[in-house]
Amino acid sequence: MGPLITFYALALLAIVSAAITAFSRNIVHSAFALFGALAGVAGIYVLLGADFLFIIQIFIYIGGILVVTIFAVMLTQGIADVNVSNRAVGVLPALVTAGVAGGVMFYAIIHSSWYHARPGSATPTTYWIGDAFLGPYVLPFEVASLVLLAALIGAIVISRQEVRE
Amino acid sequence: MDTIVSAWFPIAVTIVVSALIVGGMVTVNRLLGPRSARNKVKGEAFECGNPPSGSAWNRFSIRFYLTALLFLIFDVEIVFLYPWAVELRELGMVGFVEALIFIAVLVVGLVYAWQRGALDFE
Amino acid sequence: MTPLNLTTIDFSWLAILPLIALSVGAIVVMLAGTRVDDEDSAALGFIVLVALLAAFLLTMFELGQNTAAFRGSLAVDDYAVFFEVIIIIATALTVAMSLEYAADAGLAGAEYYALVAFAALGMLLMAAAGDLIIIFLGLETMSIAVYALAGFIRRDAKSNEAAIKYFLLGAFSTGFLLYGIALLYGATGSVRLTAIHASIAARTAVNPLLLLGLGMLLIGFGFKVAAVPFHMWTPDAYEGAPTPITAFMAVAVKLAAFAGFLRIFFTSLDPLATEWSPVLWALAVLSMTAGNVIALVQSNIKRMLAYSAIAHAGYALVGMAAANGREAGGAVLYYLLAYAFTSLGAFGVVVALDRGAESHAQIDDYRGLARDHPGLAAAMAVCLLSLTGVPPLAGFVAKFYVFAAALNAGFTGLVIIAVLNSVVSAYYYVGVIVAMYMREGGVAVESMSRRPGLLISIAVGVAGVIALGIYPQPYMGAAVNAFASALGRPALHAVSMLP
Repeated sequence: MGPLITFYALALLAIVSAAITAFSRNIVHSAFALFGALAGVAGIYVLLGADFLFIIQIFIYIGGILVVTIFAVMLTQGIADVNVSNRAVGVLPALVTAGVAGGVMFYAIIHSSWYHARPGSATPTTYWIGDAFLGPYVLPFEVASLVLLAALIGAIVISRQEVRE
Repeated sequence: MDTIVSAWFPIAVTIVVSALIVGGMVTVNRLLGPRSARNKVKGEAFECGNPPSGSAWNRFSIRFYLTALLFLIFDVEIVFLYPWAVELRELGMVGFVEALIFIAVLVVGLVYAWQRGALDFE
Repeated sequence: MTPLNLTTIDFSWLAILPLIALSVGAIVVMLAGTRVDDEDSAALGFIVLVALLAAFLLTMFELGQNTAAFRGSLAVDDYAVFFEVIIIIATALTVAMSLEYAADAGLAGAEYYALVAFAALGMLLMAAAGDLIIIFLGLETMSIAVYALAGFIRRDAKSNEAAIKYFLLGAFSTGFLLYGIALLYGATGSVRLTAIHASIAARTAVNPLLLLGLGMLLIGFGFKVAAVPFHMWTPDAYEGAPTPITAFMAVAVKLAAFAGFLRIFFTSLDPLATEWSPVLWALAVLSMTAGNVIALVQSNIKRMLAYSAIAHAGYALVGMAAANGREAGGAVLYYLLAYAFTSLGAFGVVVALDRGAESHAQIDDYRGLARDHPGLAAAMAVCLLSLTGVPPLAGFVAKFYVFAAALNAGFTGLVIIAVLNSVVSAYYYVGVIVAMYMREGGVAVESMSRRPGLLISIAVGVAGVIALGIYPQPYMGAAVNAFASALGRPALHAVSMLP
């Protein structure tokens, strides 16, 4: 019973926060509401026994990306004045698209036979993730460093100061 | 699943207690603290810091954003190293070299950012 | 857990040496760039060319191996080699085109060449990917580098627009792809392409989750190959990006996306072919028709070629939709090869007219080009005729193979639509030729003798178009063989469909 209540509480937190993020007229509110969405998902990782993912979610999404997002929102001049709602696209097509996509996903999730992994336990997962990273998945592991290196160059290119005349 | 809940129970308690402490302090302050009208003088810094000048909504240098992005990139890189650190002894020499290559690429990025002046604030 | 050794991780120098060569080249360029003046950065382009040459030679050792490495993460087969060779050539020609252009347009800077090298690295990974994670990482490496390259002309509003549109829509589509990967993993319990194939083939009933994952993958790849209705970013991104990067996006990026697309759909999801074939049918029809019809009214040649690139993705999808015929795969590979050389040649000429700061990319700028620069005009004419599908050029043979394969598989209606589209496309391709040969008053073009890199790029493109057109057999054989190697089967009918 306990896990079930916890799950629904966390899911509610994530969904309500995500809705505020999407629908708020004030981008500062959107940025802060993102915290609830990310934290709710982090809590669901805990219920799934994915402790490493939980820490990463806190570490990168909340401690990194969210902070950078709020940082960018607060530092950008007059960003709160902008009406961020996009009126170019009608509400009705959006509702239909979202409704159909949601319906299809719901149907698929209900009617699918999922691949069942071993039942989760409370044992720490970090050890086995390290095992996978440096063993069978060593190539993705190393490539990830190159992806980040490309991202680093991209960031510097985009933000470099134009010193040439 | 119950084992998971019991294993994480202390953390849940910590989160709840910390939320209660912060929320409680704010509430108690509101209930007990003296209330007075807000005015411009009260809003100013008192015996600490400079009086604010200009608006807070200025244009900031793009270097702030760059620093934030660099932080994020190295943040992600560090996360990849945690699982390796946990299992360092068991993985032996091959695992060590693999992680060394990963770190070497990271260092190249750092050297590059440094040389490009991305870490400077002139 | 026993300590790791090179056997437990299934280490293979053969599989990663080309990747290492390119990574080292990219890193050297990156670090050397901090010591080199921006004006001298063409020298860094040569470092990338050397790295590409090394990668090319090392790739050649993989020919005929048909094995896998890193526990199935990387495929070392002729299919990977086929795409890697085209990608390496396309990247090398992009660098060669850029050598003078970058200096002219004030794009000098080590980052330009380093990003091109990183993008190529991601593409090689996609070509050789044996699991979904490598496909995703390759796609990300490629995309991140190309986003930054598209916006490289910092003070040009169009270039910024190109970068932001490409970035936002690209990131959105990557989200779809990743969701699809997650759902496939949820349905089959593996990210390895072979394991996914085995899991799907062993099923009796179709799993809705699998179809949802399939749909998500289709959307993700649809964006990357610029198929209608996922093409919205293409014209703006192609128009605003520096022209050599436009060529890079139209050729190398598209081919790498197709490499991953084809491999996943033909080696992993092929038991679901009856489900995805009709969807590709629709995507092919939409891409060909919308691409060609909208291209008719373009006045900017980069936008026109962008819509043309959308239409050509549609022609390639015709071959993919005919999945039931095994030879269709080889025909698609040949089509992409022909498209790569044709497009590189055409974009080379566009680079020749585009002077960076003052962009001469209007079709009107091409008026009278034949009189001042007969060579350039002839090269452009050959490439445009090849794109139309006029014999004896590469584009004709490629379309012939694809349409023949689709007919053999019983897709008569689709082929009729494709042929009608080719007729429509002739109008706008020939329009440029008419402007070059029969009109007056275009722009003055700088002499080509001062731009050897660009000259070589155009020459290689045109030579490829002609060689693939008049003597297609060995290349078609290679394409069929490459496709068969991806399926893990010997090429039984390698010669049966040659004319």
